[in-house]
Amino acid sequence: MSHDGHHSIVIPAPGPEFVPHTVAHHFDSPVQEFQACKLGFWLFLATEILLFGGLFAAYFYFHEAYPETFRLGGQQLNWKLGAVNTTVLLLSSWTMAMGVRSAQTSQKKATILFCWLTVLGAAIFMGIKFVEYKAKYEHGFLPLFGGFEVADWFKDTHHVMKDVPHGHMFFAIYFTMTAIHGLHVLIGAGLILWIIKGASKGRFHAGYYLPVDLVGLYWHLVDLIWIFLFPLLYLVP
Amino acid sequence: MTTHTPHVDVHSGAHTGTTNYLNNTSGFMSWAGTLDHKRIGLMYLIGVSMAFLAGGIFALLVRLHLWSPDGALFTNEAYNQIFTLHGAFMVFLFVIPAIPASLGNMVLPLMLGAKDVALPRLNLLSFYLWVTGAALAMYSILAGGFDTGWTFYAPYSLYTNQAVISIGLGIFILGFSSIFTGLNFIVTTHKLRAPGLTWFRMPLFVWAIYATSILQVLATPVLGITVALVALERTYHIGIFDPRLGGDPVLFEHFFWFYSHPAVYIMVLPAFGIISECVSVHSRKPLFGYKMIAFSSLAIAIISFLVWGHHMFTSGQSTYAMFAFSFLTFFVAIPTAIKEFSWVATVWKGSIDLNSPMLYTLAFLIIFAIGGLTGVILGVLNVDIHLHDTYYVVAHFHYVMMGSISLAFFAGLHHWWPKMFGVMYNESLAKLACAIIFIGFNATFIPQFIMGSRGMPRRYAEYAAEYQPFHQASTIGAMILGCGVALMFGYLLASLFAGKKAMQNQWGGVTLDWMTPTPPPLENFHQTPVWRGEVYDYSTLDLRSTQTPVS
Amino acid sequence: MFAHLFQTPQEPQKSFYVADQGVDAWGQLTPLASTFDHVDHVFYFTMWMCVFFFVLIAAVLGWSVLKYRRVRFDQPAASNVTHNTPLEVVWTVIPLILVMIIFAWGWKGSLDMAVAPQDARNYKATAAQWSWTFRYHNDPGSSLNELWLEVDKPAAFTLESKDVLHAFFIPSMRCKRDVVPGRNQRIWFTPTRLGDYHLFCAEYCGKDHSLMYAKVHVVTAEQYGKRPWDTEDPDPKVNGQRTYEALCKSCHAVAGPNTAIAPSWFGLYGKSEAVIEGGQEKTITVDDAYLIESIRNPSAKIVKGYESAGRMSPFDQGQVSDRKLGFIIEYIKSLK
Ligand code: HEA
Ligand code: HEA
Ligand code: CUA
Ligand SMILES: [Cu+2]
Repeated sequence: MSHDGHHSIVIPAPGPEFVPHTVAHHFDSPVQEFQACKLGFWLFLATEILLFGGLFAAYFYFHEAYPETFRLGGQQLNWKLGAVNTTVLLLSSWTMAMGVRSAQTSQKKATILFCWLTVLGAAIFMGIKFVEYKAKYEHGFLPLFGGFEVADWFKDTHHVMKDVPHGHMFFAIYFTMTAIHGLHVLIGAGLILWIIKGASKGRFHAGYYLPVDLVGLYWHLVDLIWIFLFPLLYLVP
Repeated sequence: MTTHTPHVDVHSGAHTGTTNYLNNTSGFMSWAGTLDHKRIGLMYLIGVSMAFLAGGIFALLVRLHLWSPDGALFTNEAYNQIFTLHGAFMVFLFVIPAIPASLGNMVLPLMLGAKDVALPRLNLLSFYLWVTGAALAMYSILAGGFDTGWTFYAPYSLYTNQAVISIGLGIFILGFSSIFTGLNFIVTTHKLRAPGLTWFRMPLFVWAIYATSILQVLATPVLGITVALVALERTYHIGIFDPRLGGDPVLFEHFFWFYSHPAVYIMVLPAFGIISECVSVHSRKPLFGYKMIAFSSLAIAIISFLVWGHHMFTSGQSTYAMFAFSFLTFFVAIPTAIKEFSWVATVWKGSIDLNSPMLYTLAFLIIFAIGGLTGVILGVLNVDIHLHDTYYVVAHFHYVMMGSISLAFFAGLHHWWPKMFGVMYNESLAKLACAIIFIGFNATFIPQFIMGSRGMPRRYAEYAAEYQPFHQASTIGAMILGCGVALMFGYLLASLFAGKKAMQNQWGGVTLDWMTPTPPPLENFHQTPVWRGEVYDYSTLDLRSTQTPVS
Repeated sequence: MFAHLFQTPQEPQKSFYVADQGVDAWGQLTPLASTFDHVDHVFYFTMWMCVFFFVLIAAVLGWSVLKYRRVRFDQPAASNVTHNTPLEVVWTVIPLILVMIIFAWGWKGSLDMAVAPQDARNYKATAAQWSWTFRYHNDPGSSLNELWLEVDKPAAFTLESKDVLHAFFIPSMRCKRDVVPGRNQRIWFTPTRLGDYHLFCAEYCGKDHSLMYAKVHVVTAEQYGKRPWDTEDPDPKVNGQRTYEALCKSCHAVAGPNTAIAPSWFGLYGKSEAVIEGGQEKTITVDDAYLIESIRNPSAKIVKGYESAGRMSPFDQGQVSDRKLGFIIEYIKSLK
């Protein structure tokens, strides 16, 4: 029962290890709740895509302006590590999809397991990113704590970029894009941990798996964006 | 059913007791933690009104300073900060959230026959994001202010020695507040319509908010990434917008206007929605060209993504870009022209009640014609070369943002005031204030058109003496305008304490918002309403409800 | 707390505008002094079109309010019509035709403004916070905040910015162009009337944006031939002072102590000064060499106490020739 004597709709749990779900009071049916949240989430994903859209626009703009810089800059990245990371993310997208599937079929243990695997993927991804960043830092490419002049951060220790105009430009774009993407990976991993917590309490089952579904969508988006970033940055066209 | 019963099954509940959303619970947390769209709308209303008054006080300071050519009051640095604050407060804290977040929140679920918006917690989050953004704006003032103009053009915004990062963060957060509100309304409109309320039976206010929401969701992230890049530039000097580092300031302009042009329609479409409601209810006549008005909102929303370059005609774009942007700018005027003519046709042969919401509506129709048509002049390529960045542009956008949108907001405020609070303000004072505002407004901005066409540049702390008469006329006008606004807020507040009881259906509206008890109860309707007839069918109006005071 | 925001009575803001040409009739644009008269034609055409629609709308509204005002509370509308297809087509098509006409007209005009004629004379305008420097074709001379043009001779400008965005705007010539750092833009027009005109900076560029003003003198061929922009005063101090007024005054004081923005020039020459060079503090004596360095490369030695203040941008030969630099030094020497 909720306010004003309205009845709340309760979805029963399919087994003792699960808990029932109460539909939010302002919805008339579970279907309405599910559809509303899903539509809202898709819209949110659209804003995320547009946010990255701005960055991609900047990428293409400067790629057009300084093609040589971008070509040479791209060669400084380790495409093998990038490829490994791409594989890791693709695999984690698959484990996430399996996690959603398990939640839909009320397989509590499998849900938790697949979610952990996805988190593991995220951790490997970030670990490899860390290794890459560290190498870039040693080459003097990392824009951190610089002064007003670009020379304060763009040291280019091995003088590889000295013959192209505005050598720092590629790295500025590279670090902005991958850092913001990395932030999304971290947020995604945090959300999956939250799902794991809920799943171990038995909140997700065939009758109610909405949060797992949405976090899954989010994770696929993170993956999708990387699939664009990888060829653009590591294999500069 | 007799003609006087609405074709809707609602238990109007006029006699079912006195609890409503205002008094069903009390205490600080019952407001601060509320998930009720009406309370959130009300809190927004207070917030945006404060932002408007603050922005208005900055405006008055601007006008006072410009009394004399050497600048009457401030140092140049201080003047630059004040007009920036004025623009930033008015745009980001007032006019973008004003109508959707306050009146939209209040009325949209009522009009749809829903118990709440689809995602009430997200709604509360939007509100607190707004509050955080406002707090960051205040913090930036205390931290030394910012003097970049509301457009934050690089590279000046990268070099200036002021609190640009904190206000940038504030705008980023305000952006997400706006995105979440829009997202929520789209979902609500799709999923929570009452049974029988098909798309073409929705009130036009809902259509307008729906089109606005699409823009909010799709355009605002680009603003977010733009201010984030400016903040990155200022901290790490990555060089994307800084010409010294190989970046391009014109790219910043593209990013900024890609958001900020659609943003002007984010501001104006909800105002169109209010005008559609008021024109119909106060003329007691179905809207002329309902479908055209609904579709033109969508057309505007789509085309407005393609015209941003008209703010950059002097920045040295390619001639092809100029061609396309100018062409599409004219195209966006056509759906707007259709709306304007349809409203006028609705008034014609209506049963016109000259009450205060209607007076504000008529003022809107007149002022918006001027504001929009001067926008069309600015869209002409060679003319804009002369007028760009002069007071002509300043006058244009005040005609739309102050004269049209703010007046529409006032119209909506007066229109739904009795619904929201169950009390009526003093009608005579309301009419007087409307007249003062109308006169003061035109006195402020007509001189600006004239001096702008003669070359007076904007953002000038000091100016050539020959423009002084216009500036002085404008300053006097602003004082009159200020008195009108102060009077309006005065009697509105007074009505909360000493107002007469409003009627159940004060104006005789036939949309669902007028069919709940006044003020509405917690979940809006005692039972989910079922909509049967057509929209704006005044033959269903129960005239008794316009004569029954709220209990 | 807020006292620093206000002007103090002792130092009123001084603008260097001088009203010229008197005030023109109400409702007119500034007197047109260039070949771009199509701007005014389109402007007036569009304006009258707007007036027409405005009057139409106001008239229908006014008439309706008078005629159909609600007098009984239960009065229904006089008509409940919701569609009239012919009418709706008319009010869509007519505005469409009208806006296409003005679009085409304005587009044609803007093409005309885009390409300078062959025989145009070349000028270079350099914008810096907050002054304009003009250079004349291949002439070594330059002038500050004053521009001389020959009447009826097309003038084409290359616009260059030293720091942030500015815009080159001469209302009487109906021309405007942003001055974008890193991109040299072009603009041209033909002055057609003798007289003096305003040149404004129309893009916000910081503190003294509103004082970034130059005067345009449109003169006869004969006067132009005398190269008025090169006129020098026999007294180097006076020349130095002119440059100071135009370029340096917004930051440096010439009487009284240092300000928060920049060191004062008063008693500067010969003084010993603590400066920071490459992170090291040292003491130097202000002499010619130091002053030249401070103008050509201001970041080399920063006077102690200004480490975190805004940096002055360097002035190169184009803006301050060596000769002018010498005048400035003479002027600084004279400030005691
Ligand atoms: C909500 C705000 C709002 C709205 C609705 C509009 C509406 C329009 N604006 Fe405006 N505009 C601004 C806010 C707004 N603008 C702001 C803030 C700026 C300056 C930003 C800055 O630099 O700081 C600006 C600047 C601006 C410029 C750039 C000027 C410059 O800087 O050089 C241009 C140029 O094309 C322009 C055009 C238009 C057009 C064509 C419309 C059209 O949508 C108008 C359509 C309406 C009508 C046409 C009127 C109604 C119709 C009739 C009466 C019927 C008859 C019609 C015809 C015959 C066509 N606007
Ligand atoms: C919604 C948007 C909005 C609104 C409503 C307004 C409203 C007003 N604006 Fe604003 N304006 C902008 C948006 C807006 N403006 C923007 C975006 C800019 C560009 C900034 C930039 O260049 O970066 C601008 C710039 C701008 C300028 C140009 C500055 C310059 O270029 O140098 C001027 C000059 O006259 C001006 C004046 C006014 C005036 C007189 C009002 C009036 O309509 C205000 C009316 C309101 C009041 C007068 C308040 C009444 C309150 C009281 C009387 C106090 C009561 C007190 C208490 C209860 C405590 N505005
Ligand atoms: Cu230079 Cu404004
Ligand atoms: Cu625009």
